[in-house]
Amino acid sequence: MKKFLSLLMIVTLLVASLAACSGGNNESGTTDGSAAGQEIVIYQNKVEIHDQLSAFAKLFEEETGIVVTVKTSGGDSPYAENLKAEFQSDRQPDIFVIEGMGGFNTWKEKLEPFSNEKWEELTSLEFIVDGKVYGFPVAVEAWGMAYNVDMLKQAGVDPSTLTSQEAYRAAFEKIDSMKDELGIDSVVAMAAGPDMRWVTGLHNFNGYLSAGLEYGDTTVLDKLNNGEADMDRLTQYADWVELLFEYADKAVLLTGNYNDQLGQFGTKKSAFLHQGNWTDPTFADMGVEFDMKFAPHASVAGEHNAIFIGAPSFYVMNNESKNLDAVKQFLNFMATQDAGHDYMVNKTNMVPAFTNVTLTPKAPLSANVAEWVSKENGAYTWLQNDMPDGFGMGTIAPIYESFAKGEIDKAAFIEQLKNKIEELK
Amino acid sequence: MKQQKNNRLWFWLFLAPAFLSFIIVVIIPFFMGIYYSLTDWTAVAGIKPNFVGFENYKEMFSDMAFRYSFIRTFLFTFLSVLSINFMALLFAFLVTKDIKGKNFFRAGFFIPNLIGGLVLGYIWQFIFKSVVPQLGGLLGIPALEELLLLADPTLALIGLIVAFTWQYAGYIMMIYVAALLNVPQELLEAAEIDGANVWQKFRSITFPMIAQAFTITSFLTLVNSFKQYDIIIALTKGGPSTMFNDEIVNSTEMLAVHIYNVAFKYNDMAQGQARAIIFFLILSVISVGQVYFNKKREVEM
Repeated sequence: MKKFLSLLMIVTLLVASLAACSGGNNESGTTDGSAAGQEIVIYQNKVEIHDQLSAFAKLFEEETGIVVTVKTSGGDSPYAENLKAEFQSDRQPDIFVIEGMGGFNTWKEKLEPFSNEKWEELTSLEFIVDGKVYGFPVAVEAWGMAYNVDMLKQAGVDPSTLTSQEAYRAAFEKIDSMKDELGIDSVVAMAAGPDMRWVTGLHNFNGYLSAGLEYGDTTVLDKLNNGEADMDRLTQYADWVELLFEYADKAVLLTGNYNDQLGQFGTKKSAFLHQGNWTDPTFADMGVEFDMKFAPHASVAGEHNAIFIGAPSFYVMNNESKNLDAVKQFLNFMATQDAGHDYMVNKTNMVPAFTNVTLTPKAPLSANVAEWVSKENGAYTWLQNDMPDGFGMGTIAPIYESFAKGEIDKAAFIEQLKNKIEELK
Repeated sequence: MKQQKNNRLWFWLFLAPAFLSFIIVVIIPFFMGIYYSLTDWTAVAGIKPNFVGFENYKEMFSDMAFRYSFIRTFLFTFLSVLSINFMALLFAFLVTKDIKGKNFFRAGFFIPNLIGGLVLGYIWQFIFKSVVPQLGGLLGIPALEELLLLADPTLALIGLIVAFTWQYAGYIMMIYVAALLNVPQELLEAAEIDGANVWQKFRSITFPMIAQAFTITSFLTLVNSFKQYDIIIALTKGGPSTMFNDEIVNSTEMLAVHIYNVAFKYNDMAQGQARAIIFFLILSVISVGQVYFNKKREVEM
């Protein structure tokens, strides 16, 4: 009896260990023929909209019979690495997400271009390389100098005058002198610490790449990718960085994380915030109710009347997918149908990238972005994602931190940036 | 004879699942990794990597960030090993005396080890950023109140060591407790009768008898300090920037964090793999060397 039991246990163990290797997915989606009954997998990186996207996918299934499976990873489970793992599995995603030239260069051998889709005429933010459209813009995001409308009014600063470095300096000095009256710790909620490298190295640095230039002008970016720095622009840009750091709260600047920075602005301890409209949900959670709008960054000399608007990520198609027609149908549905508009604006509070959408988001910063989008020449280009991998957050961000701490002065800051750019040759 | 052969069969049969898993998950990727470190692999499905020989290795040694990370990791490891073992031994002595609630203390010291590194990092980040300044305010010490611990490279490293010690001392303490309880009481009593004081008793009797524990604990603390990742990411994210040889580097970017950044942030997978191989070699040499030397000093009872 004992021998029999031990034999049974061994057999169970062996079978169990082999069962794990049996793999063999049944949902390989290799149907051709009618679109109904097809199945597509979309692998995306916005954790906060997973539920809404799944609900929208259900709607789409009811309309067309195509099953859309939504897989998400992001935040602490980094999307880029998990995406590489997904491709090694035997059910590769049909739609996935890239965030700019970096993602494009990594994945270009697997991308299928779109051709003459309905949604292409409805947007100017699609991702184009060499004349071919590769990416469907997921949403519109923008950042600028967010400000507390009431507080500026109280301080007697007119936001429409904030268009140049001189105007900002005067306004900052004025607000700084009224710190006690307004109850603020510092004029600007700015962060440059190790947790916030994307704020300085990517977003703020993007001012050097595209502020003051026409939308789509990539001359400065091209020079950077060839290892050349535009010294005039860099010097003017350093003045802007110095101004922001001068009027920031030291603790938030050097060690603050995302919540600290937003918290300073949300609890009315600063008049300005260096962030974008993606902060709306966080402010809603914090119970912040005051009105806020964007003013332009005065990143270089001259007058500025635009904020940095772009699409943070794009849906791209896997060229080995067998369900490309279904994919195109899904994306057209999202861009052109009312259900799609409702999903994009009302359910997820994103600012849609398409001109045929009449709904506007309710959250204050996103609503303001919609205003800037419809303004003539109200947009500067997002070019920070087209720099080489790791350059913004890894290579130049620590330089901002040293500058913020006072370890290097402005001349050394410019010198260090110039050296790092020249290393890209 | 047949019985022995039968036994061997059962032995291998039972070992098979774990052994197979070990080969598939550890051994095979290890050799694949060595191959990939000699190519320009990017981990994107379908792209064939090209062989580049020792390019990656040459590039690695001229990278200032790698060298700095190396130095900092050695420093961190050295200080952590001292700090953890000292605290653990201290606690072990305290809980092996007959004091009230010693079981409570044993459990209490051990619990931080059960909290994951990430949560620990956030707790200590909160302590360093909010509690310390508040304490400074209460005690009326302005220097403490304005102290930005995580902005100074040296203080951030010390903060990291404090948090890591807090996490790990309890676990090491358990090992010392087991070793201390094995020291025969008669020897200690005999020595006391002969007039030995506390320090002499420790040095001549206790210390040699727990040498075996030192082998284990130094191995564990050495290897774990060297490999630290999650508590660093949670507490300092690689840390405040600082200058090193005219380059701006991250002051608490230990080797594991550095390799991760190279591989995933800069998307340079082959380079990251090459550094990981070097990391493995160095760690193996140090830990095997350490165990060898310690084993020689052990005293068998």
